[in-house]
Formats: sequence, C-alpha cells, structure tokens
Amino acid sequence: MARSWLRYLTLFAGALFFVFPFYYMVVGSLQESPDTSLRGAVPSGGLTLDNYAAINDRVNLVQSLVNSGIFTGGVILGTIVFGVLAGYALARLHFRGRGTLFAVMLLVQIIPFQLLIIPIYVMIVRSYGLADSYLGMILPFAINSTAVFVFRQFFLQLPEELFSAARLDGAGELRVLWSVALPLVKPALLTATLLTFIGPWNEFLWPFLVTKEADMQPLAVSLANFIDNMAGRAANPYGAILAGAVVLAAPAVALFVAFQKHFTASDLGSGVKG
Amino acid sequence: MSIDTSTAPRPGSRPGEGAEPTPPPSARPRLAVLLGRQPLGIVFAAPYALFLAAVFAYPLGLAVWISFHDYFFAAPGATVERPFVGLDNYTAVLGDPAVRESFVNVAEFLVINVPLTVVLSLLLATALNGAVRGRALLRVAYYVPYVTASVALVAVWLFLFAQDGMVNEALGPLAPDPSWLVNSALAMPVIAVFVTWKQLGFFVLLYLAALQNVPKELYESAATDGASRFRSFWHVTVPGVRPATALVVILSTITGANLFTEPYLLTNGGGPNGASTSPVLVMYQKGIEQGSPDTAAAIGVLLVLGVLAISLVNKKLLEKD
Amino acid sequence: MRPKAVTATLTMLALGMTAACGGGSGDAAEAQGSRGPIKVWLSNNPEEISWGQAMVKAWNSEHPDEKVTAQEIPAGKTSEEVIGAAITAGNAPCLVFNTSPAAVPQFQKQGGLVALDAFDGATDYIEERSGDVAEQYQSPDGQYYQIPWKSNPVMIFYNKKLFAKAGLDPENPPLGSHEEFLETSRKLVDSGAAQAAIWPAPTSEFFQSWFDFYPLFAAETGGQQLVEDGKATFDSAEGQKVADLWSTMYSEGLSPKEAYNGDSFADQKAAMAIVGPWAISVYGESIEWGAVPVPTSAGTAPEETYTFSDAKNIGLYSACDNQKTAWDVLEFATSEEQDGKLLEATGQMPLRQDLQGTYPEYFEQNPEYETFADQAARTVEVPNVPNSIAIWQAFRDQYSSSVIFGETPVDEALTKAADEATDLAGQS
Repeated sequence: MARSWLRYLTLFAGALFFVFPFYYMVVGSLQESPDTSLRGAVPSGGLTLDNYAAINDRVNLVQSLVNSGIFTGGVILGTIVFGVLAGYALARLHFRGRGTLFAVMLLVQIIPFQLLIIPIYVMIVRSYGLADSYLGMILPFAINSTAVFVFRQFFLQLPEELFSAARLDGAGELRVLWSVALPLVKPALLTATLLTFIGPWNEFLWPFLVTKEADMQPLAVSLANFIDNMAGRAANPYGAILAGAVVLAAPAVALFVAFQKHFTASDLGSGVKG
Repeated sequence: MSIDTSTAPRPGSRPGEGAEPTPPPSARPRLAVLLGRQPLGIVFAAPYALFLAAVFAYPLGLAVWISFHDYFFAAPGATVERPFVGLDNYTAVLGDPAVRESFVNVAEFLVINVPLTVVLSLLLATALNGAVRGRALLRVAYYVPYVTASVALVAVWLFLFAQDGMVNEALGPLAPDPSWLVNSALAMPVIAVFVTWKQLGFFVLLYLAALQNVPKELYESAATDGASRFRSFWHVTVPGVRPATALVVILSTITGANLFTEPYLLTNGGGPNGASTSPVLVMYQKGIEQGSPDTAAAIGVLLVLGVLAISLVNKKLLEKD
Repeated sequence: MRPKAVTATLTMLALGMTAACGGGSGDAAEAQGSRGPIKVWLSNNPEEISWGQAMVKAWNSEHPDEKVTAQEIPAGKTSEEVIGAAITAGNAPCLVFNTSPAAVPQFQKQGGLVALDAFDGATDYIEERSGDVAEQYQSPDGQYYQIPWKSNPVMIFYNKKLFAKAGLDPENPPLGSHEEFLETSRKLVDSGAAQAAIWPAPTSEFFQSWFDFYPLFAAETGGQQLVEDGKATFDSAEGQKVADLWSTMYSEGLSPKEAYNGDSFADQKAAMAIVGPWAISVYGESIEWGAVPVPTSAGTAPEETYTFSDAKNIGLYSACDNQKTAWDVLEFATSEEQDGKLLEATGQMPLRQDLQGTYPEYFEQNPEYETFADQAARTVEVPNVPNSIAIWQAFRDQYSSSVIFGETPVDEALTKAADEATDLAGQS
C-alpha cells in the first residue's frame, strides 16, 4: 500500500512540474503588470484582459488562427486521403516498387526535414512561385509519413479473409477499402489525425520562411514575430507575450484533452511496437 | 526508425509462385511480372510516391548539388555563374569554428537529452502503467507539453529562467551568475532539459505501448523467484522494452539533430556567444540570413550523414540480442 | 530493408540530380522604359507609414494611370532577410523605402537591384541632392544601386530624472570622454538609480554593432569606416580603446549581458541609450531626456564628433515591371517638398545638403532636433563592400565572445575579426 502511495506522490509531483508552466502562462497573461517574483505565481489583484487586447492590436489574431487552421486542415486532409490510400496499398496490395516505397518511407523519417529546407524553399518559392500562399505552406507537409506508417500497420493487422471475401463478392479495391477496411481502423484515423495536427499547428520554421505577408502568417509565426519585434512597445510586454502563448496553446490543448481517451497507448502501440 | 518489417504478414504470395485462387487470364502474368499482382496499388500509392519524390528526393538531390557548387540566391532572370567547386564548401564548413561549435553543442545536447529522455519516460511509463486512479488526468498532464507549440512554451521558459525570473528568485543566492540563458555553460543544458520536458509525453506513450507487449508471466515468475521490485524492473521490463528503447533513442536523436526553434527563440539565436547554436540554426543563419546556401547545404549533408551513422550504430547496439 | 534502402537512396539522388540543374530565364530589359502601376514597401514604424501613405496619395492623385500601392514591409526577423527572400522568389516590389546600405552589395550580387544610373540624369540628381555624402553609397563598380535617402545619426540619449537621482548634473552630465562615461555609468548603477547604465542588445545579430561599437569607433577615428580600401581598419589603437570601454562596461555589470525583452530606456531600466532622432517622438512625451554625442577617449568637442549614420535608403528592384514609373516616384518621394514632410513626420534627417538651410522653420520650431541635424553632417556609413553582412557577422561574433562575454582577449578577437573581414571584402 505504501508503495502505491509513493507511486502516486511521484506521479503527481511530476505532473505538477509538467503543468506548472501552463498555469504560469495563464496567470501571467492576465496580470496587469509583470511580477517575476514568486508571488507572481499567485494571481495578485489587477487581473485584466488588456494583454490579449494588446496582442490583438499588433497581430491579427483571428486571421492568424484562420491561417493556422487552413494550413493544418490542408495537411490533415492530404494525409487522410492520400495517406490512407498509400497505407492500404503498402499493406494489402502487391505491386511493383512496394518494397522500395516502404524503404523510402522509413528513410524519410530518419532524415530531418530542416535539412531539406533550403532546396525546398528554392523549389516552392522560385520554381512554383508559391510564396505567400496556402498551397506553398501545405505542400512540404501534405502527407505525413508517420501517419502513412500507422495506417499501414493497422491495415496489416486486419485478417486476410475479410479482404478475399469482399473481393470474391466482386467488390473493387476502392470499395473494399471504403466499406470493409476503413470502418475497422477508425481509431487509427483519429490517432493519426491528432499526431498530424501537432506538426503543422506548431510548425514555425517553414511557414516563417514561406510567408512574408503578415496576413498569411499562421499563429506560431506571428507570435514569434510579436515576441521578437513588437512586444517591446506594449505596455506590459511580459503579459502580452504570455497572452499570445495562451492563444497559440489553447486550441491544441483543448483538442487533445477532448480526444485524449482516443489517443491511447494501444492505438499507437500497434503502430510502433518493436 | 527501427521498425521490424519482417513480422509484417505478407499478404498473398509472390507473383508466379504457387497456385492462385482464380487463374488469371493469359495476358495477366506478363503484366503481373511488370507491375505486380495488383497493379492498382501503384495508382493508390502514386500520390504519396510523387509527394516523396517532390519534397524529399528532389530537394535532397538539390541540396547535394548545391553543396558542391558556388551557389547563391539570385533574382529570376539574373544570369549568374555557379561554378562547380568540388569540396570547397565542405572544407570551408569544417574549418569554420562556428560550425564546429554548433556540432559540439548538439553533441552536448544529445548527451544530456537522450539518456534523460530514456530514463524518465521509461520510469514514468512504468509508474503510469500500474496506476489505476487518476490515470487520465496524469496522462493529460504529461502529454500537454508535447502537443503545445515550442513558440508558446519558450515564452514561458524565457520568463521563468530570466535573470530576475522566478527560478532565480526561488534559488536566491544560489542563482547562477551569469544567469541561465546567458551563461555559456548552462544555456545548452537548459535547452536540453526544455526539449526533454517538451517531448517526454510522446516517449511515455511509446513506452506505455511497449509495456503492453511484455508478457505478464515474466513478472509473475520473477515475483515467485522472490525478485525485488527493482530487480524485476531491471531484468524483465528493461529487456522487454528494448526495441522501444531503440526507437526512443533514434527518434530523440533525430529531434536533437533538428534543434532549431529552441535556441533561435530561447537564447536569442544561439547565444550567449554561440554557446547554444545548433547546426540547423547555423544553416539558417548562413543560408537565409547571410545568403550563402552553398555552405549551408554542406552543413546539412554533413548532418544527415551524422544522423544516419548514429542511427545505424544505435540500431546495431540496441537490437542485437 | 537495407539493400532496398540503398537502391532507394541512389534512385532518389539520381532523380534529384537530374532535376536540380535548372536555371532561370527572363527579360527585364524592356521594363526599364515601361510605365504603369507599381508596388512599394514602407518601413514598419507608424510614423514612416503615415508619411508614406500621404506621399503615395499625393502621387496617385496626379498620376491616375501609374498608381502606386504601398504596403508595410512584411514581418520577419530583419528587413534584409525578407527582401533577400523576395528577390529570390521574384516577388520583390518596385521600391523599398527601407533598404539598408549594408545589404546593398548582397542584393546587387543577387541581381535584385537596378543601377539607377541607367535613368537620364539620375547620377546628377543623386549627387546634387546629397552632396559629398553620396559617394559613400556608390558601389565599387561606380554606379548607384540605392538612392541615399535619410539618416538617423545616433547619439547618447539620457534620462535626466535618473541622472539627478544618481546625483549627476542632468543638464551637463560628464559623458565626453571614455573615463567620464565610465565614471558616470558607475554612479548610475551604484546609486541604484537604474539597473543598467546603458543596455545595448548583447545579442549576436550582425547589425547590433552599429549601436554599440561602431558609433564610438567612428567618433574615435574621426570618421573612419569599418573597412577601407578593402582592408579592415578596426584592429588599431582606436578600435582597441573603444572595445576596452565596452568590455569594462560589461565586466563591471554596467551593461547587462542578457537581452531585455522590451525597451529598456522606455521602461527606465537603463539610464542611457544610443539612438537616432526618431527617439524624440518615441520617448519625448514620457521621459525627460537629454542628448550628447558619443564619447571618445580624449573627449572630442561635440562639433567635431563623428557618429554612425544609420541611414536607410531606397532601392529599385529588378522584379519591377514599370521601372520608369518607379524612378519617377523615387524622384517625387525625395523632392524638397516630400523630404520636408518626412522630416516633419518622423524627425529623421533627409540625406540632403544644407539641411538646416533648407528647412529653417522646422528647426526653429523644433530646436531639439538641431543637435541631430548638426550631427548629421558628420556621419559614417557602413562600407559598401562585397560580403558586407558576413563581415559584420564575423565582427559581431568576435566582439560578442571577447567584449561582451570576456571569454577571449579583446586584442586577439579584434585581430581575428579584422583578418576575416579583410578576407571577406576581397572575395567577390
């Protein structure tokens, strides 16, 4: 019994350490004047929404959120549509080049994206003229390879009889995928969607490079610009920056909390088990 | 990634091998040899394959090409010379103390970050695995930094670790001087701890998944042998999740090699005095800010080779039985 | 997976290689004589935006067929980076009213700028408007790729209240010589009047040296550029003195080594700042300020002290389709009338000859700008040499490790930076 007590103590102490910065972020964003001392951790009078207004003055929060939404939505759409197709093909269909494609997919995950960023920049911006466009933002992330991998693993686990039976009934591959396979891998879809969401929503470097127009920039970029260039002129720069952080963090956290029971170990487990 | 591809059941059999349930028409075999038994797969996989070719293969080739030439960004239509310069960019990069420092920094980062990540995420996952009550709440707490953008979290850490920030306030006379983020000995460790903290949730998730696959009987037999809790952890859990450990090590190494946002924002672009630069940050400075993508590409190629080498070594070390 | 992966990698590399060898083509020659609507970018401070919009409006009402659309310069860490990227992408505007002279060599090398000499009478126009100063902005090939527009000669701004609090004479503070500057700084910090005497950004962006080392170096040398005749000048007794002064400031904690998130002068965390005349309108209301020239080791008389100009110029970019219109707008925007309006709106000094003689009323009404206008006659620009930004970065890196963080000896760092700078200036 004592042991389990200790376990919970450790777990909750750890959790506190993980959550404290978030708590501090919210409290700081509501404070009238910065208080960096320990007392600053407890909301001390003077609570205000001014900091949110200050950010909204310099950054168009709504537009930035919309941009983030379009960017992320585009990536999720691309990943779900083309990723499922590719994952299904890799798991269930015999075609020439399957082994090579699978190997490349694994290789993609080893090579850091940032290393390709300059050539991709030249290509997207110069060859395709996609600077300051949603398409240019989305393209390099359009299909998340990790998600393709997760899909493949899930389709692999389905029993073969299911497929042969459907095919004997004369169903085409697309139909087999749509009405037999997909309904069975719904949890995988959700897990992959959540995993895919995190990437573009939080991505900073790429949209930062590709968008120069302020009204095309997603929130992560406008907030970073705000921290760098504009916060200095705000009445309470600390509060303004933290308010921006809250705005950026809130949708991701909310989405995650809402779906957290689907985002479970066993779902991902089949994807990544050794 | 250390994914075991061999366990994946191969659907059906290879073309031309054994009897097929429905004998194909006479034109099929040759086509099957050429395109595979289910050529529709090519259609299904084509978008993804094209995508990989466009945003992966092509840029990789271009990066390698750029790294061997005297390359700079020019306006469309401007006629510029881009002579082949052999290994010049590589020698320039290797001779540049700033670049060398960035690789040393990232090595320092990995030395702190990777072991810390492995130990903490395995411990937390084990503890979480046994916990019954409050599990959902705890899980949310641990995953939340992972799902939140670096940019937002950096803002908080910036204030917590500033000269007159809360951490120093709490430490009082024990506060380091110069303060954390401007102390060349502490800046990189702070970044490493930050990244560990941020990514831990994901790795806890991986270990939780792996723990489900450790056979219960092993724990039971360890218990009947009178093994202490620590012994059963060490002799059953640790070997049981070995493949997951390999994955965690490789993934966190890749994350480390990618390090950019944290030094860019947390230490004002790799400060103090370059003590927290990373190769990707230097690539960015050289390629984008200073307009020499050629040397930047050379750094990139060196980094890829480094990551590949480390991944292969890890795989060898951690996967041999 | 291994053999497959190898084949895969090789295939991709081959694929990439063949695809990689593409080049750009296009014809920009006819754009030179063409007229029509154009796009311009303005700097992103509110004062300049309001001037720019009024200027554009004035132009548009007279030229309905050649409409100008103005836009704030897109956000980014620095304007240079944004413009550089736009040149590469081929979507740079016609004119950027915020072209840093330090970036001109790079933009020129990128093929992003149009040599203004191609337009009739342009060279004469530039040299007549700016006088001898114009020469500093000529590129090594003898052409103008930028029109010298306005300068922000930097001076020491100080907070009179904080000075009084530290027991210093707010009207006549001892800040002339390096010795006095240090003594004053110590009093400010020791008395607790301010957390920092002066708080230049201790970060490593290439341009930060323009606001700590360079103005004092210009003053110390009586107007020397960082690089002259292809050789770095700062590895000298003068450079050493200036670096030593800052090194003492940092080691004694008079200037913090950590960047301030905000405006340290506005927040009264620092008692002094190195700023241009724009500061008058920004701080003028909230802080009781005084301005003096930057210090020199011997305490040079104010009327002989040089400083850094912090000029921003206008460049005409090659992506422009209607370059003839762009040039006309350029002339319009730098006319005596518009320069006067710029001065009025922003307090920044147009780079024209005899400023006080041209706008006597303005300086009568705003005597506080007189000091800056006088200073504007003795300014030093960043050198117009190849790899300008790389040179500044190399300098900043060495400065940062020695002067700010005290990790390497100052004299060694200067020598190293000088060697690097000379080397970089020699490459094309």
